[in-house]
Amino acid sequence: MAKKQTKKETKKQTKKEKLDKSKNLISLLKKHGARVYEDLENGEFPKFSIPNRSISNIIYDKKLRQYVLGTNTSLRSSRNSSQLRSFTQLLWLAFFANKLTHEKKSSTLRDVYYSSQAFAVDFEDQGESDNIIVDLEAVLSQPREDFYVFPEERSSIFGDLTIEYTIPGYEGKTQNLSSHPDGYAIGPSMTSAELVDTSAELVIAIEKGGLFTRFVEEQVDKKFKSIIINTGGQAPRSTRTLLKRLHDEMGLPVVILTDGDVYGEHIAMVIKSGSANAAHLKGLTVPDAKWMGVWATDIDKFKLPTIPMTESDIKRCYDLLKDPRYQEGLWKRELEVFIKIKRKAELEAFSKYGLNNITEKYLPKKLEESKSF
Amino acid sequence: MSSKEEFNQISPSEFFYRNRDLAGFSNPTRSLYTAVREFVENSLDACDHSGILPNIHMTIKAVDPEKPDPKQYILTVKDNGPGIPSKHVPLAFGTVLYGSKFGLKQARGMFGLGATMAILYGQITTNKSVKVKSNADGKTRFDFEMLLDIQKNKPVILKKQETPSSEKGLSVSICLDGDYSKAGTKIRDYVYQTSLITPYATISFDDPKGEKFNHKAIIRSMPPAPTIIAPHPYGIDVETIRRMLVDTHYQIPNVDDKMIEKVRKELGMSKKKFTYDEIMKKTEKKWKSLTRPVRVVISLMSFLEADFEKLQRIRIEDVDLRNNKLVYWDYSTSQTLVAEMDVESHFYKQLANTVQGESLTHFLSKRFQRVGPTAALEFCKFAKFKPETRVGNMTDHELVKLSDALQTYEGFRSPDPTCLAPLGDGPLEKGIERRFEPDFMAVVQRTASAYSGFPFVIEMGIAYGGKIETRGTTVYRFANRIPLLYDEGSDVVLKVVKDTDWNRYKVKNDSAPLIIVSHICSTRVPYKTVGKENVADRPEIEKELRLALQFLSRKLSGYMSKKGQAEMAKKRANLYSKYLPLVAQFCTELSGNKKEPNYKEMMKEETALTNSDGSLEEVKKNG
Repeated sequence: MAKKQTKKETKKQTKKEKLDKSKNLISLLKKHGARVYEDLENGEFPKFSIPNRSISNIIYDKKLRQYVLGTNTSLRSSRNSSQLRSFTQLLWLAFFANKLTHEKKSSTLRDVYYSSQAFAVDFEDQGESDNIIVDLEAVLSQPREDFYVFPEERSSIFGDLTIEYTIPGYEGKTQNLSSHPDGYAIGPSMTSAELVDTSAELVIAIEKGGLFTRFVEEQVDKKFKSIIINTGGQAPRSTRTLLKRLHDEMGLPVVILTDGDVYGEHIAMVIKSGSANAAHLKGLTVPDAKWMGVWATDIDKFKLPTIPMTESDIKRCYDLLKDPRYQEGLWKRELEVFIKIKRKAELEAFSKYGLNNITEKYLPKKLEESKSF
Repeated sequence: MSSKEEFNQISPSEFFYRNRDLAGFSNPTRSLYTAVREFVENSLDACDHSGILPNIHMTIKAVDPEKPDPKQYILTVKDNGPGIPSKHVPLAFGTVLYGSKFGLKQARGMFGLGATMAILYGQITTNKSVKVKSNADGKTRFDFEMLLDIQKNKPVILKKQETPSSEKGLSVSICLDGDYSKAGTKIRDYVYQTSLITPYATISFDDPKGEKFNHKAIIRSMPPAPTIIAPHPYGIDVETIRRMLVDTHYQIPNVDDKMIEKVRKELGMSKKKFTYDEIMKKTEKKWKSLTRPVRVVISLMSFLEADFEKLQRIRIEDVDLRNNKLVYWDYSTSQTLVAEMDVESHFYKQLANTVQGESLTHFLSKRFQRVGPTAALEFCKFAKFKPETRVGNMTDHELVKLSDALQTYEGFRSPDPTCLAPLGDGPLEKGIERRFEPDFMAVVQRTASAYSGFPFVIEMGIAYGGKIETRGTTVYRFANRIPLLYDEGSDVVLKVVKDTDWNRYKVKNDSAPLIIVSHICSTRVPYKTVGKENVADRPEIEKELRLALQFLSRKLSGYMSKKGQAEMAKKRANLYSKYLPLVAQFCTELSGNKKEPNYKEMMKEETALTNSDGSLEEVKKNG
């Protein structure tokens, strides 16, 4: 009971926080706009200071347990004729983001590319507009999802979780996410929804859609009191945001289940501590998330059928060995075992021992284990 | 000039057949083109040398237009030149090797051979006569219709007619086998390019297909006419010196009938037979009035004790001054004979002087341009020759030494270009400007230089952009105001252009609208072939071409970077005129302001362009 109380309190708090966040964003954008306005008024060339995102300025923050940007910034000035265009693009995007946030209308990366054309701000291709979006993220230190720009790819969620929509037209409407066995897409409406209630005590993030369906069929949600999330490979940022919110707002632990290979291990790592690509953003990581498997050591332990690693797999292992996050504990150990056995196993490999082997045997065992690390 | 005698020994038709390939009459296509060139160039030369602004009209008409090429064409070239006096017309057009162009001055044609070649070619291929209309005095026009008697090398006049006319000039019309469908492009190019390098000439051309090309004169003044001068020491070679030594008044003359005739005439002993003593007696009286060659012949006669009859029977083989012996061949006995020479006799002095030749200083100052007595003395000091050295006595070794020294001595003044007729900066510039209408152009006339003693001047022009439609570097080559159209691959001008790294001059070589006009003026252009289509790569000429091109390229480079800067400024101005209003619009909405910020002043500053005259121009806002 006491636990529920805290949850509710947390929820209220986060709702207010969220509102503040939105307001903050709008005022931040306005502040930037006002500065440009003033500069022009004073006959000066407006400019943006953008945190430098080059490799040399990406450092690992041990305290935050994620990659962050260093203090280097670069100036984008309208005085420089070669930067004028991208300066205008950036300002336009701020203007556009402001509009989206006000109207709570979501758009995709591609939308942004096309929307620009209505304003005579031309992007050569989507690549260019995507870059400007990341620039704005860096300037604001806010992920693009906050200003309603979402990626195309979507992952899905299933389990006993009640949400309350905040997007226009659905405000106040609630939905329990266990009523549709195919799961619910994690899109803008999901990411921006209030998390109202859940009976779950655990979030299981799983790499593959096939296994996600199996888990729903096997009622893993009920058996293990869990919310199941399909990351669809590398987890999109909206999914990572949702994972973080489930952890922070609902107090749910997050475990991750991936293929038994170096890429799987890294999928887990990104959820836990972010990616270098998003080093300019905070609030996308779940530092307490746990990688449950499939470990390299599990391959032998559970006698899983394997396939040999390719050369690029092995190269990836060695690359990651240099990453500061892989310098100790489980992460280093498993990576070294992968290098040693030079073989990998997919989640489906458990099917050798029966379709429900993974949920009946492996999952309970690993869940039990995971409590201890 | 010594080759003249050689030519005379074969019949002109034989000569023609032997040389028709070299002279450019190898096939109907080439022949038509060559004939056009020969007549047009003759007309231009005639006008140039008389200081008349040329107005040349050319027509080519098919005899039977229905026939396929190659077929008979009538080529007519009419000019407003000085005309040819009627008594010279038959010889000028009815004999091979009759011409006035023997001398060291710049002209398009060398010996006036080409036109007769064309007439001969026409007669051989069509058996039709040549029609010449000449008005030399501005009163009467003489119309001739002639054939060439190939065996006798004499004209056969078929018709002669006089008409009163005030219009001076010459018109020549021949009928010849030609192929206009193949030669047409070249002929049109030729006419066009000729008008480019002769901007003071009006050249019109009616082609067989009924098309009319009219290139009006662009300027009304002519470059100064060239004069005849001696060679320059700089760049002369051993062979040329040797030829100059031989080809002088100091040579032992050929004792032939003509020479004997001359001696008789000067002595006033033309008619009768005279004894040796009579001759010597008369000589004593007349010595002072005799010309040098005659004195030499009489000196020979004195040692041979020969009268005119004996003189006819012998040939002098050697004048051996060291042994005081005169060696000769006697035709009547068919043997070589030797006569002693009396060292004390004044005839000996005459001979010795002749054989030994002039002193070196005399030779240098008299036979070369830009060398005075002082310069000759200084040169001798430099070259370590005794000034009084007799040129006739010089050994091969010494000649090589002399030739080398002439190359390396820097004291000579640069060659006298008065014998050259470069177009000049102004006319060349005008020509390029009017014909190409480029955005940028520059011309340069290098100072005169010399190769093998022949002076030359390089003129060059460069044009870029504007109405130039060709892409890549187009080179127009001229030599002595003749366009060079064939055999361009091996030409020295193209070699120099090809060697240029255009990137250094901010020019994209393969796409740039670039035109180079190169004009080599020389008393003798070193053509690689008799066809006069490409210039050989003499190092002296190559160097001058290179310097000219470098000079122009640097100018072009200056223009290109200015143009680049202007383009950059314009680009910047366009950029600001496009984006600043957007920036203003977005920041106004983003900051929640009602009114746009006042950025007009900024806009004005950023979109102002500095014109070349220093004034400011505002770029039109686009959108």
